[in-house]
Amino acid sequence: MGKRFEFIYVLAAITGFLILLFNIYPILNTFYWTDWETIKMTLVDKKVMASIWTSVKCASITTIISFFLGIPLAYYLARHEFKLKNLIESLVDIPMVIPHTVAGICLLTVLSPRSPFGQFLRKNNIEALGTEVGIVVAMLFVSMPLLVDSARDAFKWVPVRMENVSRSLGATQIQTFLGVTFILSWRGILSGMIVTWARAISEFGAVIILAYHPMIAPTLIYERFSTYGMKYAVPANIILVIISIIIFIALRLVSLGGKEKHDLR
Amino acid sequence: MIYVKNLNIKLGLFQIKNVELKIKKGEFLILLGPTAAGKSVIIEAIAGLVPIQSGKIIVNNHDITNLRPEHRNISICYQDYNLFPHMNVRNNICYGLRFKKDKDNPKYQKNFKDLVKLLKIGNILERMPLNLSGGEQQRVSLARGLIGNPDVLLLDEPLSALDPNIKTTIQEELKNIHQTLHTTIVMVTHDFIEANYLAERVAIIREGEIVQQGYPDEIFQKPSSVFAAQFIGVKNIFWIENPEELAFFGLANPAYIGIRPENIYISLKPIKADYLFQGKVGDIQNNQIYMEIQCCNTQRNYLSYLTINRFFELGLTKGMPVYFGFHKKNLIYIEEQISELEKGLKN
Repeated sequence: MGKRFEFIYVLAAITGFLILLFNIYPILNTFYWTDWETIKMTLVDKKVMASIWTSVKCASITTIISFFLGIPLAYYLARHEFKLKNLIESLVDIPMVIPHTVAGICLLTVLSPRSPFGQFLRKNNIEALGTEVGIVVAMLFVSMPLLVDSARDAFKWVPVRMENVSRSLGATQIQTFLGVTFILSWRGILSGMIVTWARAISEFGAVIILAYHPMIAPTLIYERFSTYGMKYAVPANIILVIISIIIFIALRLVSLGGKEKHDLR
Repeated sequence: MIYVKNLNIKLGLFQIKNVELKIKKGEFLILLGPTAAGKSVIIEAIAGLVPIQSGKIIVNNHDITNLRPEHRNISICYQDYNLFPHMNVRNNICYGLRFKKDKDNPKYQKNFKDLVKLLKIGNILERMPLNLSGGEQQRVSLARGLIGNPDVLLLDEPLSALDPNIKTTIQEELKNIHQTLHTTIVMVTHDFIEANYLAERVAIIREGEIVQQGYPDEIFQKPSSVFAAQFIGVKNIFWIENPEELAFFGLANPAYIGIRPENIYISLKPIKADYLFQGKVGDIQNNQIYMEIQCCNTQRNYLSYLTINRFFELGLTKGMPVYFGFHKKNLIYIEEQISELEKGLKN
């Protein structure tokens, strides 16, 4: 029997094509706006490379901090039902619904030397505004919810009973977490880390409020675009796109590796 | 010996109430009850996996009520096996040994060899759980639970996810394991046939409470409540209160009586039975293994089971006049009394 005509699949094919075109075409089109010579010149432009390095470094630090702060909470949320759980989950996700410049202003009110916390930081010789600390804080605020949510969902896939068996066989809670739960949810957590990293490296609104300098790549690109125009913004743009895509693909490949070995789903 | 003393647990609206269990060393106890009766909660409490409100759990004279699960030396196996999918069979079985202080003791190596032989899993030791059948997974799960010489092995419906053929095999293997290793086993099931085959003692649970416990024969011959009787397959349960019937069944006071369908004879001619009735054939159901036949007299309907051969020998049809009856030794007297409310409803 031949394949039946299913309207929904045709619709999916058309909309899918449109989505892919919408995602890929603008990125590829930027290459049309410049030439290889300009890109090569940009690659040796210290300011551009420093901003890209700041972006990559701060996004990576953000991801690592999100990991250590987010995993315990994500595990707790995955394993327990309690009265205020919905409220806590909503509070964790709140940064995702606040416009990012607004988030930046909110953070500024806390980190400003006029606030008690800002004064506390200053007394301890920690300068948040206009430093990489500020950049990381802004990135953390907007991207950490993604890691908590992904890790929580990943932990939920590991049956509680499997942990019970491990405990009954003599493993402590930590041994069970590290030897069973974490290993089995690692792929989901890694996916969450990739999304967190990607969200952090793309952050602009909250970062420029807290730290215009040192410049991250999006700030530099925005500055070049508003001051000199497209010609100067596009090469740095292309380099950041290429680096982001390479890191994204590499991490995706790691997270997909060994998928079939012990897929719980 | 394990002593579960006055155990109370509250989980939302559900409660386990005053559960008392005494399990002898090496005994096979079955907690029998319908779904959501609280059987699994009780064994998880014994393993320390659910918080208890009050009560004590004592194993070999040690109060383990406040010990963490990993310090109790009680292992648990679930119906869905829960093998660790990232480890092969060998590593699954030996998982618990890595946490033992005396993990290098040769006795564990011997346990490993004995269990592999007993459960016939020598050919799958290097395989990953994803590539195992349900029966193989349950065998591995049992070996993993037993290798560390637990004081108690808890089994939560270990046979319910298996197909009928494998179920029978694993059931036999469980019995064999118990007879060979003499491990104390507490198993949860809702299947009274499993309980009858495996248990040395049975406790019937209803809505978080133990309604009866004892030796299987005791429970199967003398269920203490209508619920217990129904649960162990007594299909004909009647409240007897009119003086004629009381005299007929030899009862001094109104009471429930029960009779298993398989103990009711049907014949076309009068037969020798302690209690004999004349009536008609009611509804007939063929469930492909045996026939379910309703026998009706003027007072009651009795459900009877006949082999398919016997049914065709008799040539029964609906409305046909028949004799049916049963022996006194098969009559079950149920202690439970009818409540005033039910009495009102019945009248």
